[in-house]
Amino acid sequence: MTYAAASAELDAILAELRSDRCDIDTLTARTRRAVELLKYCRERLTATDTELREILSSLTPPQP
Amino acid sequence: MTRPEPVTLLELNRRLAAVVASTPGLQQVWTVAETSDVRIAGGHCYLELIQKDPDTGTAVARARATIWRSTYERLARRFRAATGADFASGIKVMVRATVNFHPVYGFSLNIDDLDPEYTLGDLLRRRREMIARLTAEGIIGRNRALPWPAVPWRVAVVSSRGAAGYGDFIHQLFTNPRRLRFSAELFPAVMQGADAAPSIVAALEAVAARRGDFDCVVIIRGGGATGDLASFDDYTLAARIALFPLPVIIGIGHERDITLLDYVAAMRVKTPTAAAEWLAARVGAALDRVADTGAEILRLAAERTAREAMRLEAARAELPLLARGIVLDRARRVGPDTVASLEQCITAMLTRHTDALRAAGHLIDALSPEATLRRGFSVTRIDGRALTSAADVAPGARLVTTLADGTITSTVQDQS
Repeated sequence: MTYAAASAELDAILAELRSDRCDIDTLTARTRRAVELLKYCRERLTATDTELREILSSLTPPQP
Repeated sequence: MTRPEPVTLLELNRRLAAVVASTPGLQQVWTVAETSDVRIAGGHCYLELIQKDPDTGTAVARARATIWRSTYERLARRFRAATGADFASGIKVMVRATVNFHPVYGFSLNIDDLDPEYTLGDLLRRRREMIARLTAEGIIGRNRALPWPAVPWRVAVVSSRGAAGYGDFIHQLFTNPRRLRFSAELFPAVMQGADAAPSIVAALEAVAARRGDFDCVVIIRGGGATGDLASFDDYTLAARIALFPLPVIIGIGHERDITLLDYVAAMRVKTPTAAAEWLAARVGAALDRVADTGAEILRLAAERTAREAMRLEAARAELPLLARGIVLDRARRVGPDTVASLEQCITAMLTRHTDALRAAGHLIDALSPEATLRRGFSVTRIDGRALTSAADVAPGARLVTTLADGTITSTVQDQS
């Protein structure tokens, strides 16, 4: 899954909930899916401190 | 014919030097020319001044020139402050020159002052011409018109590895307070002097070859360092940025200086640090959007569930009332009207049934033996059984014949 696809799916779920099209049975499924997507998006957008330090050190030239 | 006493070369050169030194119009003359072969040695600046034919570009005049160290330091600083460009080759200058002839080194010009405004005007004029050309070609706004990806996290960096600006950028990008995830790859380029423009173009080509791997390009150079922005006023480089398939962020200028590239890049920032901050703000906005969408979805879901639960609870409370209501309602509906219509219904039904009975009676009448007898037929019985065959009787048998209005008893005389 790409970030764009996940983000688009989240938007679609939001639109569906807003329109009241979804019944109480699908509501549970949609909410569960939304939580998965949210977690995925957040993980794609942010990194741990360790990850960031590793990237930073790989990109910075060794100091003389 | 007596030949004059010959002079030494030194004597001849001294005479020439004296003529040059004493001739009016050769001292401190404000002169416009183009610089070439500028080099610094021992703090002194040595260069060539050229005048080119504007059509062919070939030199129509040329002179060696020097700026002595004490003067050069002051002039170079003033020049850079005013123009944003280093005093370097290939720029138009207005200098105050004194013609000098040295017995050993020959003819040269000694420069003791210059007017940066002339150069600035020329640089601005050239920049305006290039902007006009990029506009006429319809490409000046192309890069700015590119849609930004929602999350520009894969960054191609065009810079030089040792540049302070590159370090600032990378540090800022990877120590952002929200711990936003980025990936960056350096495409090394020369970031100053005459080689800068072609070198940056080459680095951009390398990025373009892998454009699918990146969301944007950042072109940055030394933070704090000033000067030599003129080398970025390059048409080829500007056109390449304008037509570049990914959005380009330019961070090579300073607070007030701009270059041609600032007119074509999708985004212009003042410093490399600002470039990183801008990217972090964009990705941070994406993170905010995700958080907002998530909160909204959960709020709607909770609201929906609560509403459903409330509806259910209300229905449960209402059920006994509803049942009683239905019964009362039904009872209320059995009124006088209903009775009248019931009567009609029953009458109609009875009529229908009476008619059917009557019709059935006629049919039964028509088919009854009585009716047959009335039409002249009769029934003859022997021993109570209906006689249907002549063979069933013998002479002397007693027969009873039934007619419509009575019976006749007779005795069989003959049988055939």
